[in-house]
Amino acid sequence: MANALYAGRRARNGLWAAFCYAATAFGLAWLALILGALLWKGVGGLSIDVFTKMTAPPGVRGGLLNSIVGSLIQTAIGLALAAPIGVLAGTYLAEYGRHTRLATVIRFINDILLSAPSIVIGLFVYQFCVVPFGHFSGLAGGVALAVIATPIIVRTTEDMLGLVPNTLREAASALGMPRSLVIRNVAYRAVMSGLVTGVLLAIARMTGETAPLIFTALGNSLFNADVTQPMSSLPLIIYEFARSPYAEQQKLAWTGALIVTAAVLTLSILARLLAAPKRGR
Amino acid sequence: MTFAAALVVLALLLGVAISLFLGAWPAFREFGLGFFISDAWSPPREKFGAAAAIYGTLLTAVIAMLIGVPVGLGIAVFLTELCPPALRRPIGVAIELLAGIPSIIYGIWGVYYFRPFMQDYLQPALIHSLGNIPLIGVLFEGPPLGYGLLTAGLVLAVMILPFVTAISRDVFETVPPVLKEAAYGVGATTFEVVGNIVLPYTRVGVIGGIMLALGRALGETMAVTFVIGNAPHINASILAQGTTISAMIANSFADADPGLFTASLLALGFILFIITFIVLAAARLMLARLETKGAR
Amino acid sequence: MDMTMTSAQTGPAAPGAELRDKITVKNLDFYYGASKALKSVSLPLKLSRVTAFIGPSGCGKSTLLRVLNRMYDLYPGQRAEGEVLMDGENLLDPRLDLNLLRSRIGMVFQKPTPFPMSIYDNIAFGVRLYEKLPKSEMDGRVEAALKRAALWGEAKDKLKTSGLGLSGGQQQRLCIARTVAIEPEVILFDEPTSALDPIATAKIEELIDELSGDYTIAIVTHSMQQAARVSHFTAFMYLGEMIEYDDTKKVFTAPHDKRTQDYITGRFG
Repeated sequence: MANALYAGRRARNGLWAAFCYAATAFGLAWLALILGALLWKGVGGLSIDVFTKMTAPPGVRGGLLNSIVGSLIQTAIGLALAAPIGVLAGTYLAEYGRHTRLATVIRFINDILLSAPSIVIGLFVYQFCVVPFGHFSGLAGGVALAVIATPIIVRTTEDMLGLVPNTLREAASALGMPRSLVIRNVAYRAVMSGLVTGVLLAIARMTGETAPLIFTALGNSLFNADVTQPMSSLPLIIYEFARSPYAEQQKLAWTGALIVTAAVLTLSILARLLAAPKRGR
Repeated sequence: MTFAAALVVLALLLGVAISLFLGAWPAFREFGLGFFISDAWSPPREKFGAAAAIYGTLLTAVIAMLIGVPVGLGIAVFLTELCPPALRRPIGVAIELLAGIPSIIYGIWGVYYFRPFMQDYLQPALIHSLGNIPLIGVLFEGPPLGYGLLTAGLVLAVMILPFVTAISRDVFETVPPVLKEAAYGVGATTFEVVGNIVLPYTRVGVIGGIMLALGRALGETMAVTFVIGNAPHINASILAQGTTISAMIANSFADADPGLFTASLLALGFILFIITFIVLAAARLMLARLETKGAR
Repeated sequence: MDMTMTSAQTGPAAPGAELRDKITVKNLDFYYGASKALKSVSLPLKLSRVTAFIGPSGCGKSTLLRVLNRMYDLYPGQRAEGEVLMDGENLLDPRLDLNLLRSRIGMVFQKPTPFPMSIYDNIAFGVRLYEKLPKSEMDGRVEAALKRAALWGEAKDKLKTSGLGLSGGQQQRLCIARTVAIEPEVILFDEPTSALDPIATAKIEELIDELSGDYTIAIVTHSMQQAARVSHFTAFMYLGEMIEYDDTKKVFTAPHDKRTQDYITGRFG
């Protein structure tokens, strides 16, 4: 049996295995290179100034305070809009409209929005929230982030509610509880950690989002907490400073990149830890 | 109330389509079909055409798929068939972290580290080797600038790779173990099992995952903008600087005058929306087909 | 090799001592992680005979079967200790080439497992792994295998259609044809009829009987009637131990061990 044909097969098997090992090494190498670069370039710039001073013109020592605050404000606006809409819409898909035609369509649309290019979402919000008012604003930035976050929350909410066993719903209904109370008191409670996971993932996504902010929030080199005015944010300042010719600004861009990445990865890992026991692994 | 919220989702997609189309209308009216085939992009003369941006979008996506898909599948096979169980979870998480890194980070990393690498090593190597071959040599001509379509395509490849890996791994795990055992039972090697059993069984899901990744590659903005060079020209060489729809929008929008310039950018956005909508819809339909099959 | 010391210690006269052992299992222990699933199991599989493994659920009969073609190697944490000799070669040797081993020891599973390809390719797939045949010769091999599995009449007009389109019983016969086509020396059946109706079951049993002239066969079964119908030798297992191994007739008519008797008379299991 150990003929030439088999020798060829073994060799091919070996080659393919080598390819898979190499592919994995390649993927892990990129992660290491990117995280390594972030630490290498970003940690040096970390100082108290970063969190206490405003972004500054070249030649002046500045920080990222206005950008950090801007990011927080816009993410908060995004979350305040996306969380209720997302959870409610997800509830509709999982509880009320489960097998209706409309729910199928909405589910499909939601999945498309989930991976739609964020720059297109930005243009849409520009048309809706910037053009009518005649100027860029932090509010428009927050709305753009909300449009990006909503489908994530819809999806996780529906998935999580789908995991609630029907017997649990039936048991609650058998006690005479109306549908809305069953959902609120039983279903939501059963999947609370799953809902939080969805929200965390949505925050992570909003934290790193840049493209849609360019033409909604625009950016602002001054401190601004007025959401009707243009507003800075970490991704926008990274975008601006990374292309700056001044070393000081480049350094701040890397520090901002480190902060953003650390926040995003921490949120993702938290979300994963929360979701892990539910998935039975 | 939940119903109303669900309708918001529907309204969002319609809103995107309608608002972009209305915003883009002046450009479509002015340039007609010529907008799609002209590569002129001259704000002072108010001449705008989408061809260069569409070309760059498709070319970078193709480069990204050519590299990202095989590597992503390779990692998925590694994780499901070759990886020692103790390492399976850590490596899986690491690959998912790669997916979690925001695109702006790929952008800044790309321009500070990857672009110099391209300029100093990969591009000169390509120019001196493949560049001398007749016919395909033209693809690798020009000075090694670092910036360019190939650089952008490679960064995109790394960005989409974890998506390909995550979805393929998930669908690979739907293959019934006994089916794999049966194939091993006739003496098939690991890769014969993967090639003849696992991939055919999961074909629809894998293709759906690849389309999802393609949707991402087509629409990605920040990572591309930093390294593509932002030159609205069509050039035979893949080392040349170029642009994509999203890079063009991100770069020019802030300086664009209202009127034809802005309308043209919105028109680009509308085109990108239609392209990605088709790709993503196809991807979702395929993945949905897999789900109903799995439920059988 | 010394033939007399190979059979299990079941009685004064080793059953089938005149027949050659194709496979000899000696003092086999098997572990799923830390838990021990087989405890010092010893028995022979006689050449060109059918050996049935019976016993209550969880007794280790399927585990034993999966040791014979090293299927457990696919799953980390599972390990076997002891000796499994096939024609004198230790199958537990870690350096053994598993692909070659599995081409010599075929396996048919509890549920039919047609590959996601045409009926023709289901059979040709395994053949192509080891032989490069011209089209006409491959056609002949596929036909012969399907005839051997009594499926030719039903399948000959739809060779290019998916194997998944066949009925459960037909699928199982396709799997047998697939196994036969690579010309193994031993065929393992893991409860091959548990998912089938009585008529399909009867056909499979007939097939096993016919195949036993040319192949050494081991079958795990839940059905004592089936064991009695198809096998020449029967091994009764209980809680990971080999309780009794003997001629099938003897096991079912005059078992030595009280537990075997209880099981075959339906007092437990």
